[in-house]
Amino acid sequence: MNRTGVGLAGRFPDRFGSLRTRLALLYSIVLFALAAVMVGGIYLGLSRALSEQPTSHLARFEQLAQEGSADQASLSVDQQEDRPWLVIFEEEVNRRALERLRAYSFTALAGVFLGSLAVGWYVAGLVLRPISRISAVAREITATDLSRRIELGGSSDELRDLADTFDEMLDRLDEAFEGQRRFVQEASHELRNPLAVLRTNLDVVMADPEAGPEDFRAAGRVSLRAAERMSALVDDLLLYAHHERPDSRREPIDVGAVVGETVEDFAAAASRSGVVLDHDRIDGLEVVGDAVALRRAVANLLSNAIRVSAGGGTVRVSVGRDEEMVWASVIDHGPGIAVGDVDRVFQRFWRGDRASAREAGRSGLGLAIVRQIAEGHGGRSTVRSVEGEGATFTLWLPRYVDS
Amino acid sequence: MRILVVDDEADLLDAVARGLRREGYAVDTADGGAEAIEKATFIPYDLICLDLTMPGIDGLEVCSTLRADPPGEVPPRILMLTARDTVEDRIRGLDVGADDYLVKPFAFDELSARIRSLLRRDPGRSGAVLEVGDVVLDTARHRASRGERDLDLTAKEFALLRYFMTRPGDVVSQEVLLDHVWDEHADPFTNTVRVTVGTLRRKLSLEGEEPLLETVVGSGYRLVDEPVDR
Repeated sequence: MNRTGVGLAGRFPDRFGSLRTRLALLYSIVLFALAAVMVGGIYLGLSRALSEQPTSHLARFEQLAQEGSADQASLSVDQQEDRPWLVIFEEEVNRRALERLRAYSFTALAGVFLGSLAVGWYVAGLVLRPISRISAVAREITATDLSRRIELGGSSDELRDLADTFDEMLDRLDEAFEGQRRFVQEASHELRNPLAVLRTNLDVVMADPEAGPEDFRAAGRVSLRAAERMSALVDDLLLYAHHERPDSRREPIDVGAVVGETVEDFAAAASRSGVVLDHDRIDGLEVVGDAVALRRAVANLLSNAIRVSAGGGTVRVSVGRDEEMVWASVIDHGPGIAVGDVDRVFQRFWRGDRASAREAGRSGLGLAIVRQIAEGHGGRSTVRSVEGEGATFTLWLPRYVDS
Repeated sequence: MRILVVDDEADLLDAVARGLRREGYAVDTADGGAEAIEKATFIPYDLICLDLTMPGIDGLEVCSTLRADPPGEVPPRILMLTARDTVEDRIRGLDVGADDYLVKPFAFDELSARIRSLLRRDPGRSGAVLEVGDVVLDTARHRASRGERDLDLTAKEFALLRYFMTRPGDVVSQEVLLDHVWDEHADPFTNTVRVTVGTLRRKLSLEGEEPLLETVVGSGYRLVDEPVDR
């Protein structure tokens, strides 16, 4: 056996050894049993047929009947007279024939057993070869390098199907890991900017022997701003990571109520910014999901809309439904989104106005979180915008149908 | 030496500019790519500290624009500052003509060492320690001396002396000095150059010592590289 065979045996720590041995044994035992039953049947049938009615009796009876003297007495007398030589001879011939048949049967059965063992071993090896290939590849794959594939090829049978399924799973894992890696990279880049501000400011003021209390105070103010930015970013990163997997909580939610409550939460912030919040409430729009997550998504849309409408705008919030979906829209009359950016607004760390976003401590994750929550609920998030006239962000969620 | 610092992050821009000014460089700032290109087209900077990721015109674009159409005779050295540090990012930055690459967050000392090293690479600008006659200027330690005597120079005087020492014997006009030693906040109509040259001259040569900084009437100033009688 080669190395993979040993490996396979190690994977099936059973008293029958490897799967291949077991298959070969099973195959040859079944074949042997069938052959034994068949040979045994032939032997038994033959031996019974030979012993039931000796041929010599029949032959003698027929002879007497033809001579016309087939009465009981003569027959029995003849029987007595015939017995010693004819019956003994016949019995002897039968016994020997059966003995010979038995010997041949046992030899043939032994041959069948050995042959079936060899064929079983070979066939099992042939069938299991793709499995050892699959396990060899699986062993080579580590969490950090998911680029290997089994690529079994050959005819499309169950094992090919298994290998293809395995490859597809690796594709998905690879994609997920790659996404994770990119996310970590982007997140660390985002954290580096405020870190650089912090470090350089402290470096410069500490190295300056002439720096006075006012210089230190200024550096402290800048550092505080950078720290605030970092903590806002970290909060949003955690939130984003939390919503990466689909929400586990699934309960019927009234979207109208969730949106209504969120709008009430923002009433104070809106009036501070001089924004009118216009909201029409419709009840009975039910979806299934996580109410906290949905509220977060609506809140993110609302805070964006209020920010871009600050200083006398109107933000309109409406809900509704069609055949399959329930929707919630947040409509602002702010500057809108440039045509080239419409496809990017839901991307991580996209900010329409980087500099002012930074000052406000925005992470660039708000809309990405909205998209995540929508997709986690089996829905989607969309935006429609005319530059200079405003934007409409809509959350689409599958309707809950009570069955 | 005149440096342009470009970054859209105002807090970082201010700190870098302040630190570099204390090292004696003339520092201008720009908070975006467009402003950077505009300034670099008119002012012959010796070095540009360029942030890679900026909204609108980013660092790569600024870099390739300046490389395609270099202002002045000696194109400015370009040092990229960036939060992105993958190998591809570095290669892209260096390919469009950046001379060096520094990943944020950086130690300010490393930034200033890299700037010194980049400025040394230019022809006509020699090593970290400059010597002309008996005047020695250590750019890394920020110290200047004449013979045994330490010269107690302000940052501006130090920068001025460094500029003269990288081109001993050459006549340097007031305009050139204003371009390379003073930043954009200097008023070209004041006599700030004349005053600083005057104080530097007095600190270089005490009573009875050989005068080193000459005025060339009508054209500028000159650092005497070989004293007439030793």
